[in-house]
Amino acid sequence: MVDGKWINCPHCDAPCLEREPQPGHVLICGRCDSTVMVPLGKRTLQPPLALSITGLFLLLLANTEPILTFDVVGRYQSDYMITGVIELCRQGYFPIALLVCFAAIIAPAIYLSAVFYLTFATVFRVKLPGLLNVIRLGKVVSPWNLIPVYSIATVVSVVKLRMLGEVHWESGARFILGVAVMSILCHQVSDKEVALKRLEEMGLEIKP
Amino acid sequence: MRMSDQTRVNLSQALVVTGLILYIPSNVMPVMTMSIVGSVEPLTVMGGVRELYDSGLPLIAGVVFLASFVLPFAKLAALAWILFHHGSSNLRRERNKVFKIVHKIGSWSMIDIFLISVLAAVGQLGALASIRAEPGCIVFAIVLLCSLIAAEIYKPRLIWEDV
Repeated sequence: MVDGKWINCPHCDAPCLEREPQPGHVLICGRCDSTVMVPLGKRTLQPPLALSITGLFLLLLANTEPILTFDVVGRYQSDYMITGVIELCRQGYFPIALLVCFAAIIAPAIYLSAVFYLTFATVFRVKLPGLLNVIRLGKVVSPWNLIPVYSIATVVSVVKLRMLGEVHWESGARFILGVAVMSILCHQVSDKEVALKRLEEMGLEIKP
Repeated sequence: MRMSDQTRVNLSQALVVTGLILYIPSNVMPVMTMSIVGSVEPLTVMGGVRELYDSGLPLIAGVVFLASFVLPFAKLAALAWILFHHGSSNLRRERNKVFKIVHKIGSWSMIDIFLISVLAAVGQLGALASIRAEPGCIVFAIVLLCSLIAAEIYKPRLIWEDV
């Protein structure tokens, strides 16, 4: 008879015996070699909270400031994030416009808001409604948060446009880069296990 | 609503096959047309890469080539291989590793779709410069969505299950 609770590997679902790993050690799934548990210790969710707040502010600015200005023999046009979506709609490419709008504007906003909501609740120990649904939402939306890809596409578009005319970077480009960096860092430092553990400590019932 | 494992496998297979079928048209059809001072030039995904390379930007051309041409196919081929072996006990560890890589690759192929969006936004200067999206971009987007959704629907635990 083995003592301890059986938990499932988050990657392949294999049952693993839960053992709190020692500092510096991790619990690895014997089947797929994925990390099942890391020592949580006193790890907090303050870094993702700070990153998500910064990311949300930068996303707001990225959507209100122009990204670049294209100038051909004195006639110029500025580009905002939403301008591309509107222009694609105008050209009759509504599905592409929707895809761009979702992946570059809506998904990053939902992802960062979900991280903010969850980390705010755990850091300040506030029992906010629907926390588990927010975790699920964040997990679903995370692969669609393509703001880092959008920032690279902006660089490539500038390279392409420079072949045709003059291009001037605007402040929105810096904010997009900022949101991309915040999103990547948020993804790296957000730990679902820490969040669930902290919610359990708050007395919230966590269903698998 | 929960999807059954069999539905997950069938749906992933259908998406991967659709993606593979549409992969060639997505690379042959022009994704946008650039009209600069009267000269109209339809651009395919590869055409855009070649243009960047010819302009002395091999690094950027390489990034776009990898993201738009190699990755979508590699992702679909890898998923097809994983799904082909679904239910068998062969190469499970290898399939698991490949699946992890497929997930890590993510959606860098979306560069081209975002590129069209940025270019179309600024390329509205009448007769001087006009950039229009073309139906090829819809086919290209379908290929990307097929690979993205198939990778999300198929769960790694299914690799370890016997049928």
